[in-house]
Amino acid sequence: MIMTRGLRKFTLTVHVASSVGTLGAVAGFLALAVAGLASEDSQMVRAAYPAMELTARSVVLPLVLASLLTGIVQSLGTPWGLFRHYWVLTKLLLNVLVTIVLLLQMELIGYLADVSAETMLSSADLRGLRMSPVIHAAGGLLVLLVPVVLSLYKPRGLTPHGWRKQHEGSMGPHP
Amino acid sequence: MADPPPYPGAPRWVKVSGIIAIILVLLVMTAIFTGVGGAHGPGRHMPSSSVTEPGVQQP
Repeated sequence: MIMTRGLRKFTLTVHVASSVGTLGAVAGFLALAVAGLASEDSQMVRAAYPAMELTARSVVLPLVLASLLTGIVQSLGTPWGLFRHYWVLTKLLLNVLVTIVLLLQMELIGYLADVSAETMLSSADLRGLRMSPVIHAAGGLLVLLVPVVLSLYKPRGLTPHGWRKQHEGSMGPHP
Repeated sequence: MADPPPYPGAPRWVKVSGIIAIILVLLVMTAIFTGVGGAHGPGRHMPSSSVTEPGVQQP
C-alpha cells in the first residue's frame, strides 16, 4: 500500500524527529549515568538515578518506539519496502535491537532509582550495576548513529526479495 | 516470459558490516558468559550488603 504524499511526509517527519530525538535523549541519559557513577557529590549521585529512570521511561522509550513504528509504516507505505533494500533492513534490525536492550535495561534502571532513593550510595556500592547503564548508553549511542548514516547515504544493495520484486516490475525507486 | 537475471549477491558493505556485527556479537557473548561484562539475567539485582542507609556516616 503506497501512502499519499502528505501522509508520507508526515510519517517521515515524525520518524526523523523521533530518531534524532532518541540520540539526544540517550546522550542526556549517558551524562546522568556517568554522573551517577563518577560524581563525588552524593546529592548528585542520589539525584542522577531517579532522573535516569524518568528520562528512560518518559523520553527514551517513547521515542525509540515511535522511531520503530514510524520506520515500519514509512517503509511499508512507500516503494522502498521493509525487506527490499539492505539499508532499510539493517535499520529495522538495529532499531529492534535497541528496543530490546532498552526494555531489558528498564528493570535495572528502576532498581538503581529505588536503591538511590532509599540509601546513600558510596562510590563502591553496586559499582558493577551502575556501570551497566553507562556501557549500554554509550554503546546505544554508537548503534543509533548507524541508522542516521544509513538514512542519509542510502547505500545500494537489494536483498534477494527486493531483487525478485524489482524484476517482477513492481519495484519503486532505485537508489 | 524471460527468466529474471540471477541475483548478483549482497554488496560489499553488507558483507563487511555482517562480519563486524558477528565479531561484535561474539565479543558481547564472551563478555557475558565469562563474567567480564558483569552479571546478566535473573538475580543480577540481588541487594548489596554494602549499601549504607541514608544519614549513616561513612567510615
